[in-house]
Amino acid sequence: METHGLAGEGLGKHVARRTLKRILLVEDDPDIQTVTSMALGSFGGYTVHVCGSAEEAIESAAEFLPDLILLDVMMPGMDGMDTLRVLREIPETASTPVIFLTARVQPADVAKYKELDSLAVIRKPFEPTALVETIQDIWIRYHDSAH
Amino acid sequence: MNPALEELSNQYPSALREYCNGGGEAALLRAYQLGRGAVAAGVSALEVGTVHQEALVSALVETLALAESAPIARRATEFFAECLAPFELTRRGFQEAHAALRDLNQGLERRLSAALQDFESAQDELLEQKRMETLKNDFISVISHEVRTPLTSIHGALNLLKSGLGGELNPQGQRLLDAAYRNSQRLVRLVNDLLDLQRIESGTMTFNLRPVDLRSLLEQAIEASQAHAGPLGIKLVLQGAPTGARVRVDSDRMMQVMTNLLSNAAKFSPRGETVVVEASRHNSGLRVGVTDRGPGVPEEFHERIFQKFAQAASSDRGGSGLGLSITKAIVEHMSGRVGFQSEPGRTTFYFDLPEWRRTVSRGKASENTWPAGR
Ligand SMILES: Nc1ncnc2c1ncn2[C@@H]1O[C@H](COP(=O)(O)OP(=O)(O)OP(=O)(O)O)[C@@H](O)[C@H]1O
Ligand SMILES: [Mg+2]
Repeated sequence: METHGLAGEGLGKHVARRTLKRILLVEDDPDIQTVTSMALGSFGGYTVHVCGSAEEAIESAAEFLPDLILLDVMMPGMDGMDTLRVLREIPETASTPVIFLTARVQPADVAKYKELDSLAVIRKPFEPTALVETIQDIWIRYHDSAH
Repeated sequence: MNPALEELSNQYPSALREYCNGGGEAALLRAYQLGRGAVAAGVSALEVGTVHQEALVSALVETLALAESAPIARRATEFFAECLAPFELTRRGFQEAHAALRDLNQGLERRLSAALQDFESAQDELLEQKRMETLKNDFISVISHEVRTPLTSIHGALNLLKSGLGGELNPQGQRLLDAAYRNSQRLVRLVNDLLDLQRIESGTMTFNLRPVDLRSLLEQAIEASQAHAGPLGIKLVLQGAPTGARVRVDSDRMMQVMTNLLSNAAKFSPRGETVVVEASRHNSGLRVGVTDRGPGVPEEFHERIFQKFAQAASSDRGGSGLGLSITKAIVEHMSGRVGFQSEPGRTTFYFDLPEWRRTVSRGKASENTWPAGR
């Protein structure tokens, strides 16, 4: 994975973590789209691209090149888990970190999502302001463990 | 004893038992011949009758293993008096005896089949109960999921408005927003509590048990509840906790327990008061108490306080009456117990947990030696 080192920092001593800038939000409920993208954009200052379906996400992911994908699990048509499988086959998103959003919070379901190649599972309802912090924490932890 | 009587006493019961077990006329005839033989050898009718009566009672009670031996014995006595007195005398007596015995047997069969039916319908009822239980659990998880989706946008929108995303509101608008936000929070909590309750009742709640430091757990819990207590004008303080004391619990569930107790204490405290959390060694375990200076729990409510949905008539402070029932279930699942002491101006809700006493050998996790958790 590409990292942005700070100019002038010597010999990989401080490898800065890749900054989180672009988030792809895949969510079929238009109201949750509004609330979540507003929080991520206005609060987090991220560039957010919203997709209303798995198909849309698969089509635009390679072009948008997200740093992180927020993926709703329950969607009509292709669900979040299948979407993830397809995204993994696209070279541009083969290793893009994914966080699931879900209203199914039974432990058995959550365990199933965790088994897939995802960073975390965030349960609905969430506080959008807290979501920004949660995502930042997950992002930092992800990079600290990966490097 | 007359040898003929002795022989009768030895053989008659087995002949009769055979009859009771479905031996039919052949068995009855054997019994009859035993009786006749005894009479011919000088045993009196009364003696034959007594042997028969005793054998009949024990055979019926034993063979059919019915609890109601008293009515059977009574009927056997009547039976003897009415039908068997002329037993050794006439063929007619024999026939009557046979008919009476058959009636008695049929009566027993009827009773047995009635008992069987009762058993079957009890079993059906149990199945029906199980079906309802499954239905209820499915219903709750579907509802929980269906409610979560709209709640995500409602609660999310209110949260963003409150954080100032829509710009400054006038004081009236702010009050409306606060009310909407507070109640949407309450709804979120209700949905979570209902699901927790369902998980507890269906035994699917998971517990990730690990030894943790009690003091730091309490500090964290107080910290987390501060945001909720602050606006109510309530101060939360940790007054004491034995240093180094550890408990083996699921920390998330423990936080839930503490949040419930602290939210109750803060809710029922007069404004400006302090809620005190205190941990101490008690008997052989650890006791954590949360004390408030509120009006206390009304006497007549003591018995019901830990039941789900129970709220004292006097408390109109929101909530749904689930907090304490969940608290109790969680604590008991971690081998603890909950209780309270209450008088006006001083109420303590507490829970006791066993102290975790393994010493940690340096660098090694102590839970290795504990039976697998969860
Ligand atoms: N510290 C306390 N002082 C006085 N009464 C209390 C206290 N704690 C609980 N109660 C009584 O017990 C009832 C049940 O408490 P519980 O925590 O189970 O439900 P709740 O607080 O009403 O609602 P919820 O916790 O689900 O939001 C309360 O409604 C109140 O009547
Ligand atoms: Mg409560």
